[in-house]
Amino acid sequence: MRDGPLTELPWLGVVEAAQAIAAKDLSPVDLMKSLLERIAALDPRLNAFIRLDAEPAMQAAKAAETEAMAGRLRGPLHGVPVGIKDIIDVAGLPTTGHSKILQDNLATADAVCVQKLRGAGAIVLGKLSTHEFAIGGPSFDLPWPPARNPWNTDHHPGGSSSGSGSGVAAGLFPMALGSDTGGSVRNPASCCGIVGLKPTYGLVSRRGVFPLSFTLDHIGPMTRTVADNALMLEVIAGHDPLDPGSAATRNGHYAAGLERSVRDLRVGFIRHFHEIDVAAEPEVTAALEHVARTLQMEGAELRDVKLPTLGEFGAVNRVILQSEAWAIHGPWLRERPGDYGQLARRRLMAGAFFAAGDYVQAQRRRLEMIAEVEEALREHDVLLCASSMDPPCRIDRPADIERTYPRQARTPFNVTGHPALAMMAGLSVDGLPLSVQFVGRYFDEATLFQVARAWEQAAGTDKKRPPIV
Amino acid sequence: MDKATIEVLARRAGLAKALAEFPEDVAAAAKQAADVMAKIKQPTDPAAEPWPPMRAGDGL
Repeated sequence: MRDGPLTELPWLGVVEAAQAIAAKDLSPVDLMKSLLERIAALDPRLNAFIRLDAEPAMQAAKAAETEAMAGRLRGPLHGVPVGIKDIIDVAGLPTTGHSKILQDNLATADAVCVQKLRGAGAIVLGKLSTHEFAIGGPSFDLPWPPARNPWNTDHHPGGSSSGSGSGVAAGLFPMALGSDTGGSVRNPASCCGIVGLKPTYGLVSRRGVFPLSFTLDHIGPMTRTVADNALMLEVIAGHDPLDPGSAATRNGHYAAGLERSVRDLRVGFIRHFHEIDVAAEPEVTAALEHVARTLQMEGAELRDVKLPTLGEFGAVNRVILQSEAWAIHGPWLRERPGDYGQLARRRLMAGAFFAAGDYVQAQRRRLEMIAEVEEALREHDVLLCASSMDPPCRIDRPADIERTYPRQARTPFNVTGHPALAMMAGLSVDGLPLSVQFVGRYFDEATLFQVARAWEQAAGTDKKRPPIV
Repeated sequence: MDKATIEVLARRAGLAKALAEFPEDVAAAAKQAADVMAKIKQPTDPAAEPWPPMRAGDGL
């Protein structure tokens, strides 16, 4: 077994921890102890957890240790802890959506993605903060406080998978599940300097996840490294015949080509997103140019790409999202409007004011937009663009939250369903994460990971840790 | 969208309670909806399909 201080164990990545446990070089119990100690020390400031399930997690770690010592591994994540966004069902725990509305909503079964994680040997640590119902936040008028950013706890960690981003970045757990309907995996990944993937629509089952918008919802992995993300996706991906949105496709071997060179890959740079449509902060623009130059130096061929404007992508996303969400939340909004926080109430009630024809027109335009992105991806292997146009803003300034909320380039790929990965592009002068986004062809997450790994390796983004102690 | 129209639409949607308790939130929601449709180009091809609303790639 590995010697050394428990304080270093929280920074083990998913692959590293799983390999060490499999080699009998790391005790899952020691790993769990180290994480629980760190959670006890830091979570009162971060609020990543809505509910920590410490005792069952420790019992599972003890069982994992016994099995590992006997050479019986459940799968590639044997003994590795995971945090679950609280719109995803974990049997025996409430799925609250961070809302008073579902405060006592006990889940009777694991969501499919949680089943798969457990089947691979992962240990569920608990349920994580989210914006209310994955749309209303950060909010201070809910039963639990909002999560905070470990790079600076006065700042927003992004959302809606805010506890997932905060906790992974802070070393509270090495991996988490998030959901992404308008950017909710990639926003906290961007704000917290980690790796967040929105897979191809339909690649990961949504069964057992509280819906926000049926045709825009995606479940995705959040980790500190690209390799960890690829491994997590390998576990949670796959067809689910009981999810009507599930794609009839095989799991990929996403980690296999990680170390391949990007030489001769054709990368399309969507500059107009951050230069014309929504002018990014200069630090963000400089970071994106640095990523582009780095990939060029690694041998990739870079060309500019033009797509519909961010304003139109955002509008199509909004009409579809709010119409579908209204269908879900209408009954509660009619009877219990006061049980929502103000942000969620405002955003969800908007769906009541669209006509049926508005929704159909947005879906028709969506298919045209998909065709335009498909055309760009016939000529390019991967697209490169901004994720957030700003560093994370302060969490206690509603006007700043309101201003920066739409200043992003993530919604286009919820509209089109293409896989999109956000990760750190550098640090601002204030020491806050800046971000970049890579977008791939349907079901070609492997190439996305290949490009993301090339950037990670060149820039050392996987070595950067937030200053919180 | 004027106040009277918002009230009619909100009541038709069953939001009378929200209208009474949170009139500013109802107005803000209505404004969001009104603003957003103006940003979407209408398809020029009358045969442009809305269906299927989402199906990525061809799968297997």
